[in-house]
Amino acid sequence: MPRRLSALIPALALVAAGCATSPSNIDDIAELPAVTTGEVAALVAESGRPVVLNVWASWCIPCRSEAPLLDRAAAEFAGTVEFVGLNVRDSQTGARGFIAEFLPDAEFTHLFDGAGNIPVDLGGSRAVPLTFFYAAGGELMELHTGVLDERTLALQIDELLARG
Amino acid sequence: MEFTLLGSVAVAVAGVYGMIWWEARRGNAANCTKNLWDIAMAAIVAGVFVGRIAAMVADGVNPLVNPGDILIVRAGVATGWATVAAIATAAWLGRDELWPVLDGLAAASLAGLAGWHAGCLTRDACLGAPTDLPWAMTQPGSPVGRHPVELYAALVLAAASIALAWWRRSKPPAPGTAAATALLVASLSRLATEPLRPTLSGGPVGWYLAGVVVGTLGIMWSTRRHRAAAAAGG
Repeated sequence: MPRRLSALIPALALVAAGCATSPSNIDDIAELPAVTTGEVAALVAESGRPVVLNVWASWCIPCRSEAPLLDRAAAEFAGTVEFVGLNVRDSQTGARGFIAEFLPDAEFTHLFDGAGNIPVDLGGSRAVPLTFFYAAGGELMELHTGVLDERTLALQIDELLARG
Repeated sequence: MEFTLLGSVAVAVAGVYGMIWWEARRGNAANCTKNLWDIAMAAIVAGVFVGRIAAMVADGVNPLVNPGDILIVRAGVATGWATVAAIATAAWLGRDELWPVLDGLAAASLAGLAGWHAGCLTRDACLGAPTDLPWAMTQPGSPVGRHPVELYAALVLAAASIALAWWRRSKPPAPGTAAATALLVASLSRLATEPLRPTLSGGPVGWYLAGVVVGTLGIMWSTRRHRAAAAAGG
């Protein structure tokens, strides 16, 4: 095969891959409610279901990578597990743009923490992405720092459900 | 950037290198003039790259708009496409000596996969479905015992790798048989352990079944071809 043709194949594959997404309109996404640590803690404690609290930002590349996974998990466990996204150290425009592109139809409760202090107050850190796994009632079962993979997310949800 | 997979990668690469070295010492690759280590590394890189792009496309993430995401390997690599790309790369680079190269990489690829699975110990990612068996492992702070499913796969693949290397030394199989056997064993080991893995999507079972079929057909084809050549030769 001629060398130029060989080089063309991956380029064509990338172009084809580029046609795979169709982001929603940012205007369709509502402003995220700004919350305090107490409000997030109350939401987790009073949910009545296990809660997966994912801390993210639109400028965080690993957050983009794990968003589709969280989207799938939220759809699969809708009604069983509550998924909460906490946007930190970001702008409303950036956050809404991210949701429009990666989580337009997700079964998520989206919250906004401009200062980014809530994850630290809850026992985590300022790193993103960061994911808290809470049992029903609000007890913190696992804190995962860094991007989630499918196995880890499925295992931690299974742990939450197994512990009731 | 995520570095938590590096432990598993290191163990996997050590497995590939160790098996290539061991087979070379035993004279298993005497009929192959290619540098198997170089080909193996190129195949691994190509496999991860293509597999990552395939996973991004499947998740609806545009790799052209988000090229940096390709480096976030932990967010997912499509196993089937990665395997196809790795095999195609090895076949392309070794096209002058196709079967000696693919057979020469067979045991090393199983050792590398065994290392990849055993590398779960470096990142606390060995656990699968709940069980009451005596060797069940638990997450820190959890009362739920679980199958160490990745260690099961690692043990099966390591044993298969050693058996394949020993087979190639004691009674060299027909050209292509070792490569097809490795594909069959790798697919079977994943297929058998998949029900024990926690997953959202059910796992790429279709790809594993395809690997079993292709591996089986490959063994039959290479054996029949070898017999026909032997009969024609006298």
